[in-house]
Amino acid sequence: MIRHGLSARTLLLLAIGLAVMIALPLVVKSSFAIDIFIRILLFSFIGTAWNLMGGYAKQLSLGHAAYFGLGAYTSTILQIDFSVSPWIGMIAGGIVAMLASLPIGWLCFRLRGPYFTIATIATAQALMLIFLKFRDFAWGAEGTTIPNLGNAPLMMQFESKAAYYYVVLGLLVVGLAITSIIERSWMGYYLVAIGEDEDAAEAIGVNAPRIKRDIYMISSFLTALAGTFYTQYIYFIDPATAFSFNISIEAALVSIVGGIGTLWGPVIGTVLLETTSTLLQSWLGSSIGGVQLTVYSLILMAVILWRPTGLIGLITEAWQRYAKRKPARA
Amino acid sequence: MWETVAQAVINGLLIGGIYALVSIGVTLIFGVVKIVNFAQGEFVMIGMYISFFLANQFGLDPLLSLFVTMPALFVIGVLVQHFLIRRVLGPNDMPQIFLTFALSLLLLNLALMLFTANYRTVHTSYSDEAFHLGGLYIPEAKLIAFGVAMLLSGALWVFLHTTDLGKAMRAAAQNRDVAMLMGINPNRVFCVALGIALALAGAAGSLLMPFYSAYPFVGQVFVLMAFVAVVLGTLGNVMGALIASLMMGIAESLGIQYVGADSGLIVVFAMLLLTLAFKPTGLGGKAR
Repeated sequence: MIRHGLSARTLLLLAIGLAVMIALPLVVKSSFAIDIFIRILLFSFIGTAWNLMGGYAKQLSLGHAAYFGLGAYTSTILQIDFSVSPWIGMIAGGIVAMLASLPIGWLCFRLRGPYFTIATIATAQALMLIFLKFRDFAWGAEGTTIPNLGNAPLMMQFESKAAYYYVVLGLLVVGLAITSIIERSWMGYYLVAIGEDEDAAEAIGVNAPRIKRDIYMISSFLTALAGTFYTQYIYFIDPATAFSFNISIEAALVSIVGGIGTLWGPVIGTVLLETTSTLLQSWLGSSIGGVQLTVYSLILMAVILWRPTGLIGLITEAWQRYAKRKPARA
Repeated sequence: MWETVAQAVINGLLIGGIYALVSIGVTLIFGVVKIVNFAQGEFVMIGMYISFFLANQFGLDPLLSLFVTMPALFVIGVLVQHFLIRRVLGPNDMPQIFLTFALSLLLLNLALMLFTANYRTVHTSYSDEAFHLGGLYIPEAKLIAFGVAMLLSGALWVFLHTTDLGKAMRAAAQNRDVAMLMGINPNRVFCVALGIALALAGAAGSLLMPFYSAYPFVGQVFVLMAFVAVVLGTLGNVMGALIASLMMGIAESLGIQYVGADSGLIVVFAMLLLTLAFKPTGLGGKAR
């Protein structure tokens, strides 16, 4: 069934959902809670960007930190050395990431399956090493703090956490909208075909290298926006944070746990993982290293072994069972 | 001048022997079971911690703990294949990649929780000894590690080429479907492949312990190296992985000598990216 528009009911649900999200910071005032909401929205957005390529086309990258880092560094260098607003730097970072994805993709797409994944890890790590090594170019290993201008909306700096919340909420809405448009377009079908069986897709005339290149560019662009936002939010940048392997891991993890190749999968996955991580931290304290990723990896293994379609699959199955029972009752 | 070069080559060659044990394991699993084991480095880490605790608690020499780590990791390998990997073998890439990746994350972070991020070392009587050969300096512990690594690699080669089980594994690697038609039980062969690969990783751990520190992230260094060596040496080819590992060790060591102390990894990544760009089928080179 191909649907080209959104039904009235879906639109209504979306409007209500968005209204709740917009009202949330007006009700919840605790900055601890807002901070968690921001993390959830940010990783939902990064997961959404990853999911476009990793989910629909099954090009399982573990190197998206490369674009997160390039976005963060582009806007920060522009801001500190040339006083360019991070709003412009954000777009510039996206374009830099998009351009970088061309040679990186050219290299990595020569391999398929697990070796594609390894090649993406290597490119992200190589970029981190470059930024560590060339200190006069971008502050080297020590990194730098972003000058605090107080409340300067034009420089993407705000006094209230709620403002950051709205920025990242906006990013997520853009990411989901782009995903939804692509999902319903020819490109979406090509991506799924490539994900199912690349050779078969090519045999029926899908230009797989071009489609993969294009979706990689879109995915990199979006990931870079998250990098700029995060740097502005924490007022600090260094290669270890900006190109952190954990970013690459979490981008893939939230999508797989939530439901790989589905519109809402990354959001649902992030809500589950971040909530678990917050509860664990308040229960155990953050003193013990490794707890968060231990739990993440156990959840990931459970999903892979028992429910490869992710939580979305679990929810739809339950709904279908419910819907099947319903007519019998009526 | 030539002495500096020769010294760097020797250093690289000796550590390359350890890389070889890790990458032979990766390539064996890839060849036979057709999956990439992202957790291979963590099994080196487990081997190191076992050796460390045996040395610390019972004063057992790390080299003797080979006789504990290798059987222990063989058993772990069989269990990992039987209870985890067997369940995701199929046409789909995602579960295969992310199952062993999740295993790697799990083991690494469990180690971090249980043993903290502290560096653990074992000091043996031969840790500081070295042979002097002309102007060259050959550390004893590294030489022993290299020798045992080559011995184990040779033993694996003999096993794969002379025993029935070894031949069955090579047959399964070449063409799984035909091998199954010939009456080879794939799960048994896969279990042995995982067992041997992990035993080699455990051996690498024990051999490293006299001159290298154990810490939760230690496996990551070796597994990255192994992945590059496995691509360079043509996926699934044991001899190719061995030769490529030795080359990588030498390249890394020359990189440290001539580009700078922190550029070993840059050289390795550069090699990987160059290989991908110009010879994605590996140096052995026929298209797959």
